[in-house]
Amino acid sequence: MTNSKKISFVLFVCFFSTLLRSEREPFESTYIALPAEKILIQNANVYDGDGNEFSNTDILVQDGKIVAIGTDLPATDDFKIIDASNKWVTPGIIDIHSHMGVYPAPGVSTSSDGNEATSPVTADVWAEHSIWVQDPQYALALTGGVTSFHILPGSANLIGGRGVTVKNLQRNTINSMKFPDAPHSLKMACGENPKRVYGNRGQAPSTRMGNAAGYRKSWIQAESYLRKLVEYEEKSDEAKELEYAPRRDLEMETLAGVLKGEILVHNHCYRAEEMATMIDIAKEFNYKITAFHHGVEAYKIADLLAENGICAALWADWWGFKHEAYDMVQANIAIVDQARNGTGCAIVHSDDAIGIQHLNQEASKALSAGLRAGFDISKARAMKWITSNPAKAAGIYDRTGSLKVGKNADVVVWSKNPFSVYALAEKVIIDGAIAYDRQENILPASDFDIGIISPNRNRIDE
Amino acid sequence: MKHYTSNFLFCLAFSLTITVFSFDIKAESILIKNVTILDGINNEPFVGNVLIDGDRIKRVSSSNLQGDFVIDASGKILTPGIIATDTEIGIVEIGALSVTRDDSGKMYKIGFSIFDAFNPNSTLIPWNRSNGITSTLTLPQNTSSPIGGLGSYFVLDSKLQVTGLRDMVMIGRVGGSSNRSRAEHFAQIEDLLILAKSLTKSDISSDLELSDLIDDWSVSDAMNLHPRDLRALYELVNNNLPLIMKSNRASDLLKLIELKNKYNLNMIIMGAQEAGLVAEEIAKSQIPLIINPINNIPGSFDELASNINMAQRLEEAGVKLMFNAPRDHNYHLIRQGAGVAVANGMSYAGAIKALTSTPADTFGISGKGTIEPGKIADLIIWDADPLEPSSMPDYVFINGENIDLTTRSSRLRDRYTKKLNEPVTYRN
Repeated sequence: MTNSKKISFVLFVCFFSTLLRSEREPFESTYIALPAEKILIQNANVYDGDGNEFSNTDILVQDGKIVAIGTDLPATDDFKIIDASNKWVTPGIIDIHSHMGVYPAPGVSTSSDGNEATSPVTADVWAEHSIWVQDPQYALALTGGVTSFHILPGSANLIGGRGVTVKNLQRNTINSMKFPDAPHSLKMACGENPKRVYGNRGQAPSTRMGNAAGYRKSWIQAESYLRKLVEYEEKSDEAKELEYAPRRDLEMETLAGVLKGEILVHNHCYRAEEMATMIDIAKEFNYKITAFHHGVEAYKIADLLAENGICAALWADWWGFKHEAYDMVQANIAIVDQARNGTGCAIVHSDDAIGIQHLNQEASKALSAGLRAGFDISKARAMKWITSNPAKAAGIYDRTGSLKVGKNADVVVWSKNPFSVYALAEKVIIDGAIAYDRQENILPASDFDIGIISPNRNRIDE
Repeated sequence: MKHYTSNFLFCLAFSLTITVFSFDIKAESILIKNVTILDGINNEPFVGNVLIDGDRIKRVSSSNLQGDFVIDASGKILTPGIIATDTEIGIVEIGALSVTRDDSGKMYKIGFSIFDAFNPNSTLIPWNRSNGITSTLTLPQNTSSPIGGLGSYFVLDSKLQVTGLRDMVMIGRVGGSSNRSRAEHFAQIEDLLILAKSLTKSDISSDLELSDLIDDWSVSDAMNLHPRDLRALYELVNNNLPLIMKSNRASDLLKLIELKNKYNLNMIIMGAQEAGLVAEEIAKSQIPLIINPINNIPGSFDELASNINMAQRLEEAGVKLMFNAPRDHNYHLIRQGAGVAVANGMSYAGAIKALTSTPADTFGISGKGTIEPGKIADLIIWDADPLEPSSMPDYVFINGENIDLTTRSSRLRDRYTKKLNEPVTYRN
């Protein structure tokens, strides 16, 4: 190929892939941040989310970004000054496992939209299409410092559908809440739930071996679908004109997205041996598991998780509600974190609309259990469990999850050290604008919240 | 206090079988020295010494005391053992495994008792105990009747000879449901209470008599009740049996206050998510509440006014508060809930009382809930502030006995963090 031909080919491919892209990526984010403010946070104690702690530090916020971190930062008169002396500042909290919106409050059958439990594989469904934007729980999570969260389908199915990462700013359409350019995710589930849901109906899977067969069959289909796509793409223009492009298949598009490395796998899995099996299946089909969720037994295979670069998103102490959740160890999160010389990736998740408001407390419990187990873990490191690690697992760490110059200004100012139960999020900044202010009484209210008890008040003010 | 004493006596009378607290006398006394005491009575914490002799607290003093076994607890905090008021400890091992659940009946509705199902070897007992819970009110699931189902009190000492108080509360529930109006719940409760009021002592002594009565009354006939159910109703209206009503909506709470007054019931309301809207009325009614102070979710249309400031508002209005934590198995999380209540404006002393002396007073659990001479030595030495969920007990005493804090969970932890060069299944 001559150079000019090469260039025109590259241009063509770019043009073509742009076309394909616009065709393949519907429901793009239309998120627009609140009007950016100029803010100088002064004299703060800081956990930066990357494992560091600073004292007496200033943070300068402008145009939605963190523009400087240091001491005695200069600012012009038009900056809003937040005196954070004796207070603590962290990145915005991120929850990697939420069902807000798809299981909104009030919990009624008419908006219980998290599980498409009609077939064990529903890779075609997208959690975002179930989201109720008026869920009153988002604002409550905001009062706990949560600035982004990842909404997943439920765990009734082996492959439950796509998850979505949103900014914690309530809007009146789903697309306008979506975190711009965040990768899609795929929810998969091991264990008791899928085998119970379908086994009770006398269909597959009814056993754990049935579960494993179910995943593998789906990946075999996905491999074949992807092969057809690639074969078509590799054809000459002339050949392409002579035949139709392979027919789109929503289920296969999602699974092929995983095989191409574009969609991140989030796998609900409790037992150690099942997680190990899932790692083998991922190797068989050459995809990556980004995180295991719930993983009550993750501590039993912490080294395996670290070696394979898989995060574990865990509760501090939930247990016993199912047999596969019986072997709870409070040091689970710390053991995962410390595996292979501290190369493990531990995340504290909520899966709960109350828990999401107190992820700092959940991290505190997990940290104290780790210290009691004999590990030497700093609070600054434990802060990663609810900030940078979930940001990495959601694929948004390049923009949020830690306090770094150039990153989105998603910042929380806490009244006290956030590892204390008495600490309250006083100010929550999202993309450089104050989204919540406890003292100034700035708090969003959903349409659901207004006039629902007394016509002239908001629910939260009753 | 008179009310509670009589209530306790009633429990003694009502319970055909009762196992009283263990009175084993220990040869050695235990002195807890220089500890910061939150006694469940006073507002101000104070540093002092506590002497345990046998199963009792013998002395509480700021001056020096002598003991056979001395624990220097400088910098540590002493509280009464926490009394959890709403658990399934001992009657549910694994939530989703029905064969390990003993929390619901089929035949009996009002007189269903869980007492005989209690498993002192449940793994929930060491776990919750190692987190500071020393005794529990274990409650059944709601039955199909809006009032009914009997809960019992258990001491978490793991003794196979169960220590507790049988059938010392009745539960009930009123609110939104998918199959009928709450108005019918209220009507049914009234019909049952009218029937209960009509029962005489001689009626309840005879099964035959009761079976005839069941046929005669439309409500008992329609509900297909049994003599056991009627006996429980008799206890409710004649012997001051505490009735824990689960209810949330403000209008329902007012209706319950009416019921309490009309039938002179010993009522406690649980849930009460909209209590903040009727705080004055509840305070006036003197109905104590069991609330989950961390729950600010409008989880149903009965709970729209849920608010994180609920505990603070109710305390300010003068309502007696206790806490629950609905999460499976971790009933000790009432500590975290109490911490959140304090962070949102409740008094610290009030939160400690809600975990200790208030449940003891409300349910007539004699000899428990405070640190005073003569009280039963259910005590916790905490390594730091007990309302911080990161704090844990260093020592737990039940009936004066220093309890080993090992749990299945701590065994598993050690197995995967120690002696890693040995094969897992051969580790301890």
